[in-house]
Amino acid sequence: MNVGKHPAILVVDDNHDNAEIIRQYLEIRGYAVTVAHSGDEALALYERVRPAVVLLDVMMPGRDGWEVCKIMKQHPTLGRTVRVIMVTALDEWQDKREALQLGADDYVEKPFDLPTLAATVERNLAMQRANSA
Amino acid sequence: MSDSLLLTDSDDPNIDAAIALIDGVSVQRVQTDGLAGAVTEEGVRGVLIESEDPVALRSVVEAAHAAGVPVIVACADDTTRRRAVELKAEEWYRCPATVDEISQRVRSAIARGAPPAQQSADRVERVEYEQMLHDSLTGLPTLPVMIERSRGLFKERGELMVLYLNFVRYSKIEEIYGWEKLDAVLETTAAAVREFLDDTALSTSRVMVSFTNDDDFIFFHIPASGVSAATESEITEMVSRLQRHVGARIEAQHGEEIAALFDIYVGRAHVYYNPKIRLERLIYRGIREAANASRSIEERERARRVADLRASLRDRGVYIDYHPIVVTETRKIFGYEALARGVLRSLRSPEVMFDVAAEADLVWELSRLCRSKAIEGIETRLQPDEVLFLNVDPHDFSDPAFNEDEVKFPERVVIEITERTAIKDYPKFRERLRAFRERGFRFAVDDAGSGYAGLGSIANLEPDFIKLDMSLINAIDTNFIKQNLVETMVKFANDHGAKVIAEGVERADEFKTVGDLGVHFVQGFFLHRPANLPLSATPPRRERQVSARQAP
Repeated sequence: MNVGKHPAILVVDDNHDNAEIIRQYLEIRGYAVTVAHSGDEALALYERVRPAVVLLDVMMPGRDGWEVCKIMKQHPTLGRTVRVIMVTALDEWQDKREALQLGADDYVEKPFDLPTLAATVERNLAMQRANSA
Repeated sequence: MSDSLLLTDSDDPNIDAAIALIDGVSVQRVQTDGLAGAVTEEGVRGVLIESEDPVALRSVVEAAHAAGVPVIVACADDTTRRRAVELKAEEWYRCPATVDEISQRVRSAIARGAPPAQQSADRVERVEYEQMLHDSLTGLPTLPVMIERSRGLFKERGELMVLYLNFVRYSKIEEIYGWEKLDAVLETTAAAVREFLDDTALSTSRVMVSFTNDDDFIFFHIPASGVSAATESEITEMVSRLQRHVGARIEAQHGEEIAALFDIYVGRAHVYYNPKIRLERLIYRGIREAANASRSIEERERARRVADLRASLRDRGVYIDYHPIVVTETRKIFGYEALARGVLRSLRSPEVMFDVAAEADLVWELSRLCRSKAIEGIETRLQPDEVLFLNVDPHDFSDPAFNEDEVKFPERVVIEITERTAIKDYPKFRERLRAFRERGFRFAVDDAGSGYAGLGSIANLEPDFIKLDMSLINAIDTNFIKQNLVETMVKFANDHGAKVIAEGVERADEFKTVGDLGVHFVQGFFLHRPANLPLSATPPRRERQVSARQAP
């Protein structure tokens, strides 16, 4: 189980370099980070990792981030507590409505700086803790 | 390979025989309470658990999965099997099982326990399939699963009754409150239905429920052998009890506004087993017949409501509840939204009332009645500094009886126009708005942000107030995208000299969040429920009786 000191974070990005940078940055901050390079891989890992937060890149070949988000949120048990952060620019009102419709909790615009990313992760973790308490 | 182990708490000698068929794997017996601890040991390739204790089962499955070890569950009964599926055990089988069966299950579980790279596609597919078999919200099996389950029993007993529960207006809940609310209501409904079935014994018969994605529920009632199926009157009685039970639950958890929208129509059909016809086909026909029956009951009910509405219009059988809108900072009442309610119980909900009116082409007439009742209240019920928010459908502007001179205190009226209705003739509509504005009326865009349209369409109406759609407010304290949208809306309003009202604020956390985001006014159950306002102390002039009946 991944409650307590080392909250589990699943980072999903088809770009290996990006994923690696995020992993290192977050691991130093005490999170247990798992990386997936595709939507399918993320879903396969989902039940094992039981992430508190998923950082989900939208633009991926194959199953895109939106679809992954929707499936994760539909999970009968994990779907209730997981926080999904979409990694994409949501400029238009319409994009944000769409994101809400699929169950996303937050988003980070690309390109992002790492402190912003960490702050976003932290505020979602805080929310997740409050909700599961 | 000989160091691969299968742990088990079962004494079944068939397991030994089954494992002997698999190369390189040997069995190791462990007490049930030791299984969870043992899964991390070197060489463990699988766990086979037989215990019926749900707590033990869960902890073993969780420990095994955390260690990447697959689990096989030997199920003594259906309950254990369901738990195994819910816990996502890799495999399960029914006890007693043959050697072959066991060895096959174990082999396939061990194969699935292999590293994810190879198996990831399979696993994803499995997750998806499992989601298709059980509705994730209600936890109820989908129709194909239920047909499979009832197959044997139906054949044996020769008779099956299908009840189709048609839940009307659930789509309305989604439209008004957003999908999260509908999900919550469906969850409540399913729980209430299950609870009801647990308490209800229809003789010793089997009753099964399934959920269609169309928000409806299907019951299979299979009479016990030697007992005839429930009689018409038994079913009717059961249905009305079910209706009351579910209604009460929904009201308790989601309030009367939502409960007032709720209705079930139940259709039924009898299916008799016939070996010449494929069983699925028989059942599907039965379901269709029951669904049609439920729709025809719905139609009959509608006709009755239209009659109720005509009577209400004749007797002016509408009253107004006033829902306070308060200043966020001071919580002082700024004004009230007028909510029309039917005096007759069947027409209590305004949504239902206007639905019925639309079917019977009585929308203008109903609007006129509601409007005049609401406007009366400005003089008789509101304090002199309070404002009345009046819901007006854009179509009402084409009603010649609705005009800018109808009201005595236009500066105390805010006309709410919903973003949901499409406005056809825009230039004409704006012209009408201008006429009202010149007389001193103010305007609010209702349900703002409910659609995908964004801010452009709101700017077009040049509103004085923007009422945010409830779906944006519901759980806004935990969703940062909603916060971002509301922030955008507040900034837009401040730039355009408008004020933002948050509707549907139900919890303290939501209230605090919208306050922090700079929302100017708040409306919602957290502070006030809609209520009847008493007549104010100073009696107004008698002539209001006349002005209220101005409509031709």
